[in-house]
Amino acid sequence: MADTMNHLERGMASLQNKPVDRLVTYPLAMGVCRRLVGDGKMTYRDWASDPKKFASAFIEGQKHFDFDFAIGLMDLSVAAGDMGSTVRMDDQNTPFVTDPALKTVEDYETLTPPDVKKGRSKVLVDGTKLFVDALGSQVITAAFLEGPLLSLTQAASAEKVFMDMYNNPSAVHKALKTITEYNANMVRGMGTTKCAGLVWDYLWGSYSCLGDKEYEEFEGKYARGLNELTGKEGMAMCIHNCADLPHLDTQIKAFKPAIYSMAYYPLIPGSPSAKETIEKGYADNCLIGGQIDPQGFVRWSQEKMQKTTMNLLQEVKTAMCARGLHSKYCIASGCEVPPTVTTRLENIKECVDTVKQYGQIKC
Amino acid sequence: MQGQDILASLEKAVITGNKADSVKFAKEALDKGVKALDAIDHGLVKGMTIVGDKYAKHEYFLPQVLLAANAMYGGLDVLLPHIPKADSDKKLVGVIGVVEGDVHDIGKNIVKTMLTAAGLDMHDLGKDVPVENFVNSVKTAHASLIAMSTLMTPTMDGMKAVVDGLIENGDRMKVKIIIGGAPTSQPFADDIGADMHAINAQEAVKKVKGAI
Ligand code: B12
Ligand SMILES: [Zn+2]
Repeated sequence: MADTMNHLERGMASLQNKPVDRLVTYPLAMGVCRRLVGDGKMTYRDWASDPKKFASAFIEGQKHFDFDFAIGLMDLSVAAGDMGSTVRMDDQNTPFVTDPALKTVEDYETLTPPDVKKGRSKVLVDGTKLFVDALGSQVITAAFLEGPLLSLTQAASAEKVFMDMYNNPSAVHKALKTITEYNANMVRGMGTTKCAGLVWDYLWGSYSCLGDKEYEEFEGKYARGLNELTGKEGMAMCIHNCADLPHLDTQIKAFKPAIYSMAYYPLIPGSPSAKETIEKGYADNCLIGGQIDPQGFVRWSQEKMQKTTMNLLQEVKTAMCARGLHSKYCIASGCEVPPTVTTRLENIKECVDTVKQYGQIKC
Repeated sequence: MQGQDILASLEKAVITGNKADSVKFAKEALDKGVKALDAIDHGLVKGMTIVGDKYAKHEYFLPQVLLAANAMYGGLDVLLPHIPKADSDKKLVGVIGVVEGDVHDIGKNIVKTMLTAAGLDMHDLGKDVPVENFVNSVKTAHASLIAMSTLMTPTMDGMKAVVDGLIENGDRMKVKIIIGGAPTSQPFADDIGADMHAINAQEAVKKVKGAI
């Protein structure tokens, strides 16, 4: 069926739970779209270090796939790298931290906020501006930042930070305050790009990692301030959390994001499916994005991708109608589509095209 | 303090993640003539098993588990040298690590802790571990168990490379191989020629105990 609304109209309607011509869709295809630029040989290292190259992937991705959103995820080691951690940058793989910068209690205490006008922080802000300039009039654009606890665990190692929550809590808080200051500067920087939203990666809000108490103490209270600042700087506050057992009451009901992007782990007892998420009211005031297995974009045939997308559409339409909702679900991957060379680009297209064809919802 | 009380104190030190207490009561146990092996099994390990169960039920979370593990290791450092040589020689060596290309190591650390609590002498190869390090461990560490973890699909092939490497150098029959991490499964373990798969640390302990 042909679309009768444009991306922005559909996106805005979905955010307000108004009727739409079809549901919105956005497989989280970020780094993988570098393969659509030029001769297709751009390395990950280049993509994640050069604003123009970073932006070009989103621009080409939009031409190729016709998404409803563009969200500027680079990787999860931007802040840690700018705090002095060693980041391994492979040609065809997501960069990751190999040697965290913060090793002692003093390191937490003496940490200073990285300069957002330098390093990859600057690449991220500048690159976001470039793709927002190019795509902002077509789709809903959003910046992507790591939450304070994620940045700290990347810069000091997760295990160390978790133990120090009890052994050296005041030092951990000092570091979190510093990182929150850095994050606030990043929010202001992202505000100048005029992106419509800002997505926070709050992945430690997971019951396989932290309970409510620790989460509130070591991220919640910092996140609340950043969430508020995001709104003040003119961006809709959104959250990505691809954990198996996400803290939905805190991150959706209390934080009140405009969009919440989540994954589903069928083998983990208690991991919330799309149906359960909608049934329990989490989509009532929040556009939920999910929950196709990102690995499917590498492993599945096109037919399987089509079938999976159709099944998910059916599941969310039924659940939304039962709940009196019109459009509060975005057909997306649970986390980033793997940016590797083996990802099948045709599966990304298949997912989007299936939503275009079968995503109409009439209750 | 009597023997029984010391054991209870060791157990509590682990449950509350108090390393200083764990070390203190381990020393006291030795002073009072409690056998090192009893202090480990009926004190430290008992505590760690309770912590593992609480984690599985989402009553405890990673900080408590990691602190409990740290407390257990503190007590073990004191007690292990006092285990009679004949007994400590009986301890089986296990090697554990996260395969190359993957840095997700928290699950691996929990499995290592529970296997240590189950009585194995665990050697940690860390994360992003090259294939050769696993393969050579049978010779260098005299491992009779190799435990491999990955949370990422693209790095699963590294597990097969380790099994193949062990076949090639003739050491495959000397070790049991267990794998784990979300994308892995028993059929995958069968496929690559590993012996076992477990979904979590608890199950890993059961399966390893059954196998060796
Ligand atoms: C925390 C986390 C991270 C942290 C890891 C910090 C650390 N030091 O470990 C950071 C931020 C660094 C990270 C990075 C990335 N991550 Co990550 N991460 C997670 C997350 C949210 C939780 C993992 C976790 O620690 N859980 C808690 C522990 C205790 O559970 P566990 O590891 O599952 O372990 C248990 C069992 O699996 C089992 N087990 C584990 N190992 C073993 C071994 C044996 C022998 C046995 C028997 C059992 C066993 O027992 C354990 C205890 O019960 C998961 C999603 C999820 N599962 O919730 C994604 C996830 C694992 N990450 C993912 C990805 C893609 C990435 C990145 C590529 C992201 C990016 N775009 O930058 C990078 C990878 C970098 C790299 N090369 O490794 C994907 C992997 C997808 C896939 N199938 O390939 C996941 C599944 C998210 C998703 N839905 O896409 N991540
Ligand atoms: Zn994710």
